[in-house]
Amino acid sequence: MTVVVTGLGLVGAVAPDVAGFDDALRCGRVALTACPAPVPPDLGPAFAARLTGFDLERAVASVPDVPAELRDLAVRTARRSPLPVRAATAAAVQAWVDAGLYDRAPAAERIGVVVAGNNLTESYSEAAHAGRVPTRYALHHYDTDHVGTLSRVLGVRGEGCTVGGASASGNLGLVTAARMLADGALDVCLVVGALAELSSSQRRGFLLIGAMAAAGAGPVERPVSPFDRGRRGFHAGEAAACVVLETAESSTARSATPVVRLAGHAVVLDGNHLPDPSVAGEVRAMRLALDRAGIAPARVDYVNAHGTGSPVGDDVEVAALREVFGDEPGPHVNATKGLTGHCLTSAGVVEAVATALQVRGGYVHPNPGLTDPVDPVCRFTGARARRAGLGFALSAGFAFGGLNTAVVFAHPDT
Amino acid sequence: MTEPDGGHDRHVFEALRRNAVEVVPELDEGAFTRDRTLSQLGCNSIDRAEIVTMTMEELGISVPVHEFGQGHDIGTLVRVLRAHS
Repeated sequence: MTVVVTGLGLVGAVAPDVAGFDDALRCGRVALTACPAPVPPDLGPAFAARLTGFDLERAVASVPDVPAELRDLAVRTARRSPLPVRAATAAAVQAWVDAGLYDRAPAAERIGVVVAGNNLTESYSEAAHAGRVPTRYALHHYDTDHVGTLSRVLGVRGEGCTVGGASASGNLGLVTAARMLADGALDVCLVVGALAELSSSQRRGFLLIGAMAAAGAGPVERPVSPFDRGRRGFHAGEAAACVVLETAESSTARSATPVVRLAGHAVVLDGNHLPDPSVAGEVRAMRLALDRAGIAPARVDYVNAHGTGSPVGDDVEVAALREVFGDEPGPHVNATKGLTGHCLTSAGVVEAVATALQVRGGYVHPNPGLTDPVDPVCRFTGARARRAGLGFALSAGFAFGGLNTAVVFAHPDT
Repeated sequence: MTEPDGGHDRHVFEALRRNAVEVVPELDEGAFTRDRTLSQLGCNSIDRAEIVTMTMEELGISVPVHEFGQGHDIGTLVRVLRAHS
Protein backbone atom coordinates (compact mmCIF):
# COMPACT_ATOMS: atom_id res chain seq x y z
CA MET A 1 0.00 0.00 0.00
CA THR A 2 1.52 3.31 -1.10
CA VAL A 3 0.47 6.38 0.87
CA VAL A 4 1.07 9.87 -0.44
CA VAL A 5 0.58 13.42 0.79
CA THR A 6 -1.69 15.41 -1.48
CA GLY A 7 -2.49 18.52 0.53
CA LEU A 8 -0.90 20.81 3.13
CA GLY A 9 -2.28 23.40 5.53
CA LEU A 10 -0.80 25.55 8.30
CA VAL A 11 -1.88 28.43 10.51
CA GLY A 12 0.53 29.62 13.16
CA ALA A 13 2.66 32.30 14.69
CA VAL A 14 5.30 31.48 12.08
CA ALA A 15 2.97 32.11 9.12
CA PRO A 16 -0.72 32.42 8.29
CA ASP A 17 -0.60 29.80 5.54
CA VAL A 18 1.58 27.28 3.70
CA ALA A 19 3.00 29.76 1.19
CA GLY A 20 4.01 32.01 4.08
CA PHE A 21 5.53 29.05 5.90
CA ASP A 22 7.58 28.10 2.82
CA ASP A 23 8.88 31.67 2.74
CA ALA A 24 9.63 31.66 6.49
CA LEU A 25 11.56 28.39 6.11
CA ARG A 26 13.59 29.68 3.16
CA CYS A 27 14.43 32.92 4.98
CA GLY A 28 14.92 31.32 8.38
CA ARG A 29 12.39 33.67 9.94
CA VAL A 30 12.16 33.07 13.68
CA ALA A 31 8.65 33.59 15.05
CA LEU A 32 9.75 33.66 18.69
CA THR A 33 9.51 36.89 20.62
CA ALA A 34 10.65 37.74 24.12
CA CYS A 35 8.02 37.28 26.84
CA PRO A 36 7.33 39.89 29.52
CA ALA A 37 9.73 39.40 32.40
CA PRO A 38 8.17 37.62 35.39
CA VAL A 39 8.24 39.20 38.83
CA PRO A 40 10.68 37.15 40.96
CA PRO A 41 10.31 34.57 42.38
CA ASP A 42 7.75 33.77 39.69
CA LEU A 43 8.87 31.76 36.71
CA GLY A 44 8.10 32.84 33.18
CA PRO A 45 9.11 31.68 29.73
CA ALA A 46 11.98 33.45 27.97
CA PHE A 47 10.46 33.37 24.45
CA ALA A 48 7.27 32.17 22.81
CA ALA A 49 5.64 32.21 19.39
CA ARG A 50 1.98 33.00 20.10
CA LEU A 51 -0.74 33.08 17.45
CA THR A 52 -2.24 36.49 18.15
CA GLY A 53 -5.14 38.25 16.44
CA PHE A 54 -6.32 35.13 14.62
CA ASP A 55 -9.52 35.78 12.66
CA LEU A 56 -11.21 32.63 11.35
CA GLU A 57 -13.32 34.47 8.82
CA ARG A 58 -10.32 36.21 7.29
CA ALA A 59 -8.23 33.04 7.46
CA VAL A 60 -10.65 30.88 5.47
CA ALA A 61 -11.60 33.67 3.08
CA SER A 62 -7.94 34.08 2.14
CA VAL A 63 -7.51 30.43 1.12
CA PRO A 64 -6.95 30.58 -2.66
CA ASP A 65 -9.88 29.11 -4.61
CA VAL A 66 -11.89 28.29 -1.49
CA PRO A 67 -15.51 27.64 -2.50
CA ALA A 68 -17.90 30.15 -0.87
CA GLU A 69 -20.03 27.34 0.54
CA LEU A 70 -17.07 25.75 2.35
CA ARG A 71 -15.87 29.13 3.59
CA ASP A 72 -19.28 29.99 5.03
CA LEU A 73 -19.80 26.59 6.62
CA ALA A 74 -16.37 26.75 8.27
CA VAL A 75 -17.15 30.15 9.77
CA ARG A 76 -20.68 29.19 10.78
CA THR A 77 -19.51 25.99 12.47
CA ALA A 78 -16.36 27.09 14.28
CA ARG A 79 -16.81 30.80 14.89
CA ARG A 80 -17.53 30.35 18.61
CA SER A 81 -15.04 27.54 19.13
CA PRO A 82 -11.88 27.85 21.24
CA LEU A 83 -8.74 29.02 19.41
CA PRO A 84 -7.26 25.54 18.81
CA VAL A 85 -10.41 24.38 17.01
CA ARG A 86 -10.66 27.59 14.96
CA ALA A 87 -7.03 27.32 13.91
CA ALA A 88 -7.45 23.61 13.08
CA THR A 89 -10.47 24.46 10.93
CA ALA A 90 -8.52 27.02 8.91
CA ALA A 91 -5.54 24.67 8.47
CA ALA A 92 -7.82 21.80 7.40
CA VAL A 93 -9.69 23.98 4.90
CA GLN A 94 -6.35 25.03 3.38
CA ALA A 95 -5.23 21.40 3.03
CA TRP A 96 -8.62 20.26 1.72
CA VAL A 97 -8.57 22.89 -1.03
CA ASP A 98 -4.85 22.32 -1.72
CA ALA A 99 -5.58 18.61 -2.26
CA GLY A 100 -8.40 19.49 -4.67
CA LEU A 101 -10.89 17.61 -2.52
CA TYR A 102 -13.58 20.27 -3.00
CA ASP A 103 -13.50 19.45 -6.67
CA ARG A 104 -13.02 15.72 -6.81
CA ALA A 105 -13.14 13.51 -3.74
CA PRO A 106 -13.89 9.90 -2.89
CA ALA A 107 -17.21 9.15 -1.17
CA ALA A 108 -17.50 10.97 2.16
CA GLU A 109 -17.60 7.56 3.91
CA ARG A 110 -14.09 6.86 2.55
CA ILE A 111 -12.58 10.01 4.09
CA GLY A 112 -11.46 10.23 7.70
CA VAL A 113 -9.86 12.68 10.09
CA VAL A 114 -7.24 12.08 12.76
CA VAL A 115 -6.56 14.91 15.16
CA ALA A 116 -3.11 14.75 16.70
CA GLY A 117 -2.81 15.96 20.27
CA ASN A 118 -4.08 15.43 23.79
CA ASN A 119 -5.03 17.74 26.69
CA LEU A 120 -5.94 20.40 24.16
CA THR A 121 -8.51 22.23 26.23
CA GLU A 122 -6.64 23.09 29.42
CA SER A 123 -6.39 26.78 28.60
CA TYR A 124 -10.08 26.90 27.64
CA SER A 125 -11.07 25.08 30.84
CA GLU A 126 -8.89 27.34 32.97
CA ALA A 127 -10.68 30.40 31.58
CA ALA A 128 -14.06 28.73 32.10
CA HIS A 129 -13.28 27.90 35.71
CA ALA A 130 -12.21 31.48 36.34
CA GLY A 131 -15.57 32.84 35.21
CA ARG A 132 -18.97 31.41 34.41
CA VAL A 133 -19.05 28.04 32.67
CA PRO A 134 -19.91 28.68 29.02
CA THR A 135 -23.03 27.04 27.58
CA ARG A 136 -20.83 25.23 25.07
CA TYR A 137 -18.48 23.87 27.73
CA ALA A 138 -19.85 20.31 27.54
CA LEU A 139 -18.97 20.26 23.84
CA HIS A 140 -15.83 22.33 23.84
CA HIS A 141 -14.01 20.76 26.79
CA TYR A 142 -13.49 17.55 24.82
CA ASP A 143 -10.44 17.20 22.59
CA THR A 144 -12.77 15.41 20.17
CA ASP A 145 -14.62 18.67 19.56
CA HIS A 146 -11.89 19.08 16.91
CA VAL A 147 -13.04 15.87 15.20
CA GLY A 148 -16.72 16.77 15.21
CA THR A 149 -16.10 20.28 13.97
CA LEU A 150 -13.80 19.23 11.13
CA SER A 151 -16.12 16.42 10.03
CA ARG A 152 -19.02 18.87 9.94
CA VAL A 153 -17.10 21.50 7.97
CA LEU A 154 -15.64 19.06 5.44
CA GLY A 155 -18.56 16.63 5.31
CA VAL A 156 -16.28 13.76 6.31
CA ARG A 157 -18.15 10.54 7.18
CA GLY A 158 -15.48 7.87 7.55
CA GLU A 159 -13.42 7.21 10.68
CA GLY A 160 -12.31 9.92 13.08
CA CYS A 161 -10.51 10.20 16.40
CA THR A 162 -7.89 12.06 18.37
CA VAL A 163 -4.49 10.50 18.91
CA GLY A 164 -2.51 11.54 21.97
CA GLY A 165 1.23 11.28 22.28
CA ALA A 166 2.28 14.57 23.89
CA SER A 167 5.12 16.05 21.78
CA ALA A 168 5.10 13.01 19.49
CA SER A 169 1.36 13.33 18.77
CA GLY A 170 1.90 14.63 15.24
CA ASN A 171 3.88 11.62 14.10
CA LEU A 172 1.49 9.30 15.93
CA GLY A 173 -1.36 10.92 14.03
CA LEU A 174 0.41 10.30 10.73
CA VAL A 175 1.06 6.68 11.67
CA THR A 176 -2.54 6.12 12.76
CA ALA A 177 -3.91 7.60 9.55
CA ALA A 178 -1.48 5.63 7.39
CA ARG A 179 -2.68 2.46 9.09
CA MET A 180 -6.33 3.32 8.46
CA LEU A 181 -5.46 3.72 4.78
CA ALA A 182 -3.39 0.52 4.69
CA ASP A 183 -6.19 -1.31 6.45
CA GLY A 184 -8.56 -0.40 3.64
CA ALA A 185 -10.83 1.58 5.98
CA LEU A 186 -10.30 4.86 4.12
CA ASP A 187 -9.01 6.30 0.85
CA VAL A 188 -8.19 9.74 2.27
CA CYS A 189 -7.38 10.79 5.81
CA LEU A 190 -6.68 14.30 7.05
CA VAL A 191 -4.14 14.46 9.85
CA VAL A 192 -4.58 17.64 11.80
CA GLY A 193 -1.96 18.72 14.32
CA ALA A 194 -3.89 20.57 17.02
CA LEU A 195 -2.57 23.90 18.27
CA ALA A 196 -1.26 23.70 21.84
CA GLU A 197 -2.66 26.69 23.70
CA LEU A 198 -0.99 26.25 27.05
CA SER A 199 -2.76 26.92 30.33
CA SER A 200 -0.80 28.72 33.04
CA SER A 201 -0.49 25.36 34.87
CA GLN A 202 0.93 23.61 31.83
CA ARG A 203 3.39 26.46 31.24
CA ARG A 204 4.48 26.49 34.87
CA GLY A 205 4.79 22.70 34.88
CA PHE A 206 7.16 22.77 31.91
CA LEU A 207 9.17 25.56 33.56
CA LEU A 208 9.36 23.75 36.91
CA ILE A 209 11.08 20.69 35.46
CA GLY A 210 13.36 22.82 33.28
CA ALA A 211 11.93 21.60 29.98
CA MET A 212 10.86 25.10 28.91
CA ALA A 213 13.49 27.86 28.87
CA ALA A 214 12.75 30.32 31.66
CA ALA A 215 13.35 34.03 31.43
CA GLY A 216 16.57 34.90 33.21
CA ALA A 217 17.55 37.94 35.22
CA GLY A 218 18.83 39.97 32.30
CA PRO A 219 17.33 40.60 28.89
CA VAL A 220 18.23 38.16 26.10
CA GLU A 221 17.69 39.61 22.67
CA ARG A 222 17.59 36.48 20.56
CA PRO A 223 16.54 32.93 21.27
CA VAL A 224 19.32 30.37 21.07
CA SER A 225 18.73 27.68 18.44
CA PRO A 226 18.23 24.02 19.26
CA PHE A 227 21.54 22.11 19.01
CA ASP A 228 23.52 25.19 20.08
CA ARG A 229 25.65 24.85 23.18
CA GLY A 230 23.88 27.86 24.69
CA ARG A 231 20.37 26.37 24.58
CA ARG A 232 18.41 26.22 27.83
CA GLY A 233 15.14 24.49 26.99
CA PHE A 234 12.27 24.76 24.54
CA HIS A 235 10.31 27.86 23.61
CA ALA A 236 6.59 27.21 23.07
CA GLY A 237 5.08 27.83 19.65
CA GLU A 238 1.48 27.94 18.48
CA ALA A 239 0.41 26.44 15.18
CA ALA A 240 -2.20 24.15 13.72
CA ALA A 241 -1.22 22.12 10.70
CA CYS A 242 -2.82 19.63 8.36
CA VAL A 243 -1.56 16.98 6.00
CA VAL A 244 -3.86 15.09 3.63
CA LEU A 245 -2.78 11.45 3.44
CA GLU A 246 -4.19 9.43 0.60
CA THR A 247 -3.70 6.05 -1.03
CA ALA A 248 -1.72 6.34 -4.26
CA GLU A 249 -4.62 4.62 -5.99
CA SER A 250 -7.11 7.26 -4.88
CA SER A 251 -4.69 10.07 -5.69
CA THR A 252 -4.18 8.72 -9.21
CA ALA A 253 -7.89 8.12 -9.73
CA ARG A 254 -8.69 11.77 -9.10
CA SER A 255 -5.53 13.12 -10.78
CA ALA A 256 -4.18 14.70 -7.61
CA THR A 257 -0.51 15.67 -7.41
CA PRO A 258 1.43 13.97 -4.61
CA VAL A 259 3.81 16.28 -2.75
CA VAL A 260 5.70 13.45 -1.07
CA ARG A 261 5.23 9.78 -0.37
CA LEU A 262 5.02 8.47 3.20
CA ALA A 263 7.59 5.70 2.88
CA GLY A 264 7.87 4.34 6.42
CA HIS A 265 7.08 4.98 10.04
CA ALA A 266 7.70 3.64 13.51
CA VAL A 267 6.55 4.14 17.08
CA VAL A 268 8.42 2.50 19.94
CA LEU A 269 8.25 2.81 23.71
CA ASP A 270 11.16 2.91 26.13
CA GLY A 271 9.29 1.35 29.04
CA ASN A 272 9.86 4.60 30.92
CA HIS A 273 7.40 6.97 32.55
CA LEU A 274 9.79 9.90 32.93
CA PRO A 275 10.57 12.86 30.68
CA ASP A 276 14.03 11.38 30.04
CA PRO A 277 14.86 10.58 26.42
CA SER A 278 16.92 7.53 25.48
CA VAL A 279 19.46 7.00 22.72
CA ALA A 280 18.44 3.36 22.36
CA GLY A 281 14.75 4.18 21.89
CA GLU A 282 15.39 6.96 19.39
CA VAL A 283 17.78 4.75 17.42
CA ARG A 284 15.25 1.92 17.40
CA ALA A 285 12.46 4.21 16.11
CA MET A 286 14.62 5.69 13.32
CA ARG A 287 16.01 2.31 12.22
CA LEU A 288 12.59 0.66 12.22
CA ALA A 289 11.09 3.47 10.14
CA LEU A 290 13.98 3.20 7.64
CA ASP A 291 13.62 -0.60 7.51
CA ARG A 292 9.93 -0.25 6.78
CA ALA A 293 10.74 2.29 4.07
CA GLY A 294 13.12 -0.31 2.66
CA ILE A 295 16.15 1.98 2.63
CA ALA A 296 19.58 2.09 4.25
CA PRO A 297 20.45 5.10 6.44
CA ALA A 298 22.94 6.26 3.80
CA ARG A 299 20.04 7.06 1.46
CA VAL A 300 18.58 9.65 3.81
CA ASP A 301 19.35 13.16 2.57
CA TYR A 302 17.69 15.13 5.31
CA VAL A 303 16.58 14.80 8.92
CA ASN A 304 13.99 17.10 10.41
CA ALA A 305 15.16 16.61 13.97
CA HIS A 306 12.93 16.60 17.02
CA GLY A 307 15.41 19.28 18.23
CA THR A 308 13.54 21.11 20.97
CA GLY A 309 16.46 22.99 22.52
CA SER A 310 16.32 20.84 25.63
CA PRO A 311 19.89 20.49 26.98
CA VAL A 312 19.61 16.73 27.52
CA GLY A 313 17.15 16.06 24.68
CA ASP A 314 19.38 17.55 21.98
CA ASP A 315 22.46 15.70 23.25
CA VAL A 316 20.60 12.39 23.27
CA GLU A 317 19.23 13.03 19.78
CA VAL A 318 22.68 13.87 18.40
CA ALA A 319 24.04 10.63 19.88
CA ALA A 320 21.17 8.72 18.29
CA LEU A 321 21.72 10.42 14.92
CA ARG A 322 25.45 9.57 15.05
CA GLU A 323 24.59 5.96 15.84
CA VAL A 324 22.12 5.65 12.96
CA PHE A 325 23.94 7.70 10.34
CA GLY A 326 27.57 7.09 11.32
CA ASP A 327 30.53 9.30 11.99
CA GLU A 328 30.85 10.77 8.51
CA PRO A 329 28.83 13.89 7.71
CA GLY A 330 25.51 12.32 6.85
CA PRO A 331 22.14 13.88 6.03
CA HIS A 332 21.39 17.57 6.42
CA VAL A 333 19.92 18.20 9.87
CA ASN A 334 17.83 21.14 11.03
CA ALA A 335 15.28 21.89 13.74
CA THR A 336 12.06 23.55 12.59
CA LYS A 337 11.27 24.30 16.24
CA GLY A 338 14.03 26.92 16.13
CA LEU A 339 11.74 28.93 13.81
CA THR A 340 8.23 27.95 14.89
CA GLY A 341 8.84 27.36 18.57
CA HIS A 342 7.95 23.94 19.97
CA CYS A 343 4.36 23.41 18.87
CA LEU A 344 4.11 20.37 21.17
CA THR A 345 0.94 18.51 20.12
CA SER A 346 1.05 19.74 16.53
CA ALA A 347 4.86 19.69 16.16
CA GLY A 348 4.98 16.46 14.16
CA VAL A 349 2.44 17.70 11.63
CA VAL A 350 4.04 21.16 11.42
CA GLU A 351 7.34 19.41 10.73
CA ALA A 352 5.75 17.04 8.20
CA VAL A 353 4.58 20.16 6.33
CA ALA A 354 8.07 21.69 6.67
CA THR A 355 9.68 18.48 5.39
CA ALA A 356 7.28 18.22 2.45
CA LEU A 357 7.95 21.85 1.49
CA GLN A 358 11.73 21.35 1.62
CA VAL A 359 11.56 18.13 -0.42
CA ARG A 360 9.34 19.83 -2.98
CA GLY A 361 11.44 23.00 -3.06
CA GLY A 362 14.83 21.30 -2.99
CA TYR A 363 16.27 23.15 -0.01
CA VAL A 364 17.00 22.83 3.68
CA HIS A 365 15.97 25.63 5.99
CA PRO A 366 18.50 27.46 8.16
CA ASN A 367 18.62 27.70 11.94
CA PRO A 368 19.63 31.24 12.79
CA GLY A 369 21.09 31.34 16.27
CA LEU A 370 22.90 28.03 15.80
CA THR A 371 26.39 29.48 16.07
CA ASP A 372 28.05 26.96 18.39
CA PRO A 373 26.78 23.50 17.44
CA VAL A 374 26.89 20.72 20.01
CA ASP A 375 28.40 18.28 17.55
CA PRO A 376 31.15 18.72 14.94
CA VAL A 377 29.98 15.88 12.70
CA CYS A 378 26.20 16.33 12.30
CA ARG A 379 25.56 18.38 9.16
CA PHE A 380 23.47 21.14 10.74
CA THR A 381 22.18 23.80 8.38
CA GLY A 382 23.85 27.06 9.31
CA ALA A 383 22.57 30.60 9.18
CA ARG A 384 21.41 30.38 5.55
CA ALA A 385 19.18 28.00 3.62
CA ARG A 386 20.98 25.60 1.30
CA ARG A 387 19.84 24.15 -1.99
CA ALA A 388 19.64 20.39 -1.70
CA GLY A 389 18.01 17.69 -3.77
CA LEU A 390 16.13 15.64 -1.20
CA GLY A 391 15.14 12.08 -2.11
CA PHE A 392 14.44 10.67 1.35
CA ALA A 393 13.79 12.65 4.52
CA LEU A 394 13.24 11.48 8.09
CA SER A 395 11.22 13.45 10.62
CA ALA A 396 11.70 12.52 14.26
CA GLY A 397 9.32 13.07 17.17
CA PHE A 398 9.93 12.12 20.79
CA ALA A 399 7.86 12.64 23.91
CA PHE A 400 7.78 12.36 27.67
CA GLY A 401 7.04 8.85 28.81
CA GLY A 402 9.56 7.26 26.46
CA LEU A 403 7.59 7.70 23.24
CA ASN A 404 9.87 7.56 20.20
CA THR A 405 8.60 8.04 16.66
CA ALA A 406 10.02 8.53 13.20
CA VAL A 407 8.43 8.96 9.79
CA VAL A 408 10.19 8.74 6.44
CA PHE A 409 9.05 10.80 3.48
CA ALA A 410 10.21 10.34 -0.09
CA HIS A 411 10.22 12.61 -3.10
CA PRO A 412 7.42 11.31 -5.36
CA ASP A 413 10.00 10.51 -8.09
CA THR A 414 12.09 8.23 -5.87
CA MET B 1 -48.84 42.48 17.86
CA THR B 2 -49.55 43.97 21.26
CA GLU B 3 -48.76 42.14 24.46
CA PRO B 4 -49.90 42.77 28.02
CA ASP B 5 -47.17 44.42 30.12
CA GLY B 6 -45.74 45.67 26.84
CA GLY B 7 -42.58 47.38 28.12
CA HIS B 8 -41.03 44.44 29.90
CA ASP B 9 -42.21 42.01 27.27
CA ARG B 10 -40.50 44.11 24.62
CA HIS B 11 -37.33 44.23 26.73
CA VAL B 12 -37.18 40.41 26.98
CA PHE B 13 -37.96 40.03 23.28
CA GLU B 14 -35.20 42.48 22.34
CA ALA B 15 -32.67 40.77 24.62
CA LEU B 16 -33.47 37.43 22.99
CA ARG B 17 -33.11 38.92 19.51
CA ARG B 18 -29.84 40.67 20.33
CA ASN B 19 -28.32 37.49 21.72
CA ALA B 20 -29.58 35.44 18.79
CA VAL B 21 -27.79 37.80 16.41
CA GLU B 22 -24.65 37.72 18.52
CA VAL B 23 -24.54 33.92 18.42
CA VAL B 24 -25.65 33.61 14.79
CA PRO B 25 -24.67 36.84 12.99
CA GLU B 26 -26.14 35.71 9.66
CA LEU B 27 -29.58 35.32 11.22
CA ASP B 28 -32.29 37.25 9.35
CA GLU B 29 -33.38 39.80 11.92
CA GLY B 30 -36.48 40.67 9.93
CA ALA B 31 -37.65 37.08 10.34
CA PHE B 32 -37.23 37.20 14.12
CA THR B 33 -40.92 37.16 15.04
CA ARG B 34 -42.88 35.60 17.88
CA ASP B 35 -44.49 32.93 15.77
CA ARG B 36 -41.20 31.47 14.58
CA THR B 37 -38.85 29.09 16.39
CA LEU B 38 -35.12 29.66 16.75
CA SER B 39 -34.60 26.45 14.75
CA GLN B 40 -36.54 27.92 11.85
CA LEU B 41 -34.13 30.84 11.91
CA GLY B 42 -31.16 28.50 11.51
CA CYS B 43 -30.09 28.14 15.15
CA ASN B 44 -28.84 24.66 16.05
CA SER B 45 -29.33 23.02 19.45
CA ILE B 46 -26.22 24.50 21.04
CA ASP B 47 -26.91 27.94 19.54
CA ARG B 48 -30.40 27.85 21.13
CA ALA B 49 -29.02 26.83 24.53
CA GLU B 50 -26.45 29.61 24.37
CA ILE B 51 -28.94 32.28 23.27
CA VAL B 52 -31.30 31.42 26.11
CA THR B 53 -28.47 31.25 28.68
CA MET B 54 -27.07 34.61 27.59
CA THR B 55 -30.54 36.15 27.81
CA MET B 56 -31.10 34.76 31.28
CA GLU B 57 -27.76 36.17 32.41
CA GLU B 58 -28.62 39.53 30.95
CA LEU B 59 -31.96 39.55 32.75
CA GLY B 60 -30.43 38.24 35.97
CA ILE B 61 -32.71 35.21 36.13
CA SER B 62 -32.34 31.45 36.17
CA VAL B 63 -34.98 29.25 34.60
CA PRO B 64 -34.79 25.46 34.98
CA VAL B 65 -33.87 24.00 31.60
CA HIS B 66 -36.89 21.65 31.51
CA GLU B 67 -39.28 24.60 31.50
CA PHE B 68 -38.17 25.55 28.01
CA GLY B 69 -39.27 22.22 26.56
CA GLN B 70 -38.69 21.56 22.88
CA GLY B 71 -39.67 23.45 19.78
CA HIS B 72 -41.25 26.46 21.46
CA ASP B 73 -41.72 29.53 19.33
CA ILE B 74 -40.06 32.81 20.26
CA GLY B 75 -43.29 34.14 21.80
CA THR B 76 -43.37 31.19 24.21
CA LEU B 77 -39.69 31.63 25.10
CA VAL B 78 -40.40 35.26 25.93
CA ARG B 79 -43.35 34.25 28.15
CA VAL B 80 -41.26 31.64 30.04
CA LEU B 81 -38.44 34.14 30.58
CA ARG B 82 -40.87 36.86 31.67
CA ALA B 83 -42.52 34.55 34.19
CA HIS B 84 -39.20 34.33 36.05
CA SER B 85 -38.16 37.93 35.86
